[in-house]
Amino acid sequence: MFTSLVDNQPVLDQWFNPQKTPVVGEKPDYRFSLANERTFLAWIRTALALLAGGLACAQFLPPLPIAHLREGIAIALLLLGGVVALRAVDHWARTERAMRLGADLPKSRFPAILALVVAFGALLLVAAVVIKAVG
Amino acid sequence: MTADPGASAERTRLAWRRTGLSAAAVALLAARPAFSPAAGPGTYLVAAGALAGWAALVALAYRRARGLRLQPPRPGQRTITAYAGITVAFAILATVLVTL
Repeated sequence: MFTSLVDNQPVLDQWFNPQKTPVVGEKPDYRFSLANERTFLAWIRTALALLAGGLACAQFLPPLPIAHLREGIAIALLLLGGVVALRAVDHWARTERAMRLGADLPKSRFPAILALVVAFGALLLVAAVVIKAVG
Repeated sequence: MTADPGASAERTRLAWRRTGLSAAAVALLAARPAFSPAAGPGTYLVAAGALAGWAALVALAYRRARGLRLQPPRPGQRTITAYAGITVAFAILATVLVTL
């Protein structure tokens, strides 16, 4: 994720100036850049939703039978939100760069991994609720 | 031919607005514990930070909307990175709030 040091452009510089270096090929159609920007914003909303979920867990769930489980769930969601936001800006910068260079758009396993993590967490909670209801 | 086929600048502006509204919900949730009677100074600091961050996000979106009004619309650059940075700061702030 942080190793895209193609042509010696540091990752942080790529984040702040994705259009700067090197300018090969054509400047992309602005509509493609704006579509990339909207994808970034959709990921930021995903991150913000995870943050809101984490804060809501901490504030509205009653204390759970296992000590600090409520805080653990909340912090897991908050960290996941932070990672999603960081990855959103990295992916946006790499896509912007690929469009300028006329290269293939960057591929990513991140959406699949995020989906699996969220599904696994949901199944874990379903299991906990069922065990509590039966036992 | 229309000036902006597909209205991509307008759709992008609306996407910024949706994101700002989501950020408002997060900022209000982060500020909420400061209104409880048992609130301590840490909770007040987190609430102040969250609301300041939210104001910064609104300002960034406002600045970006000006770039989108130009013809042709200017692509977003540092505004986007700053927006992601403040979102990460929200995540850190919220984690501090939960562990307080």
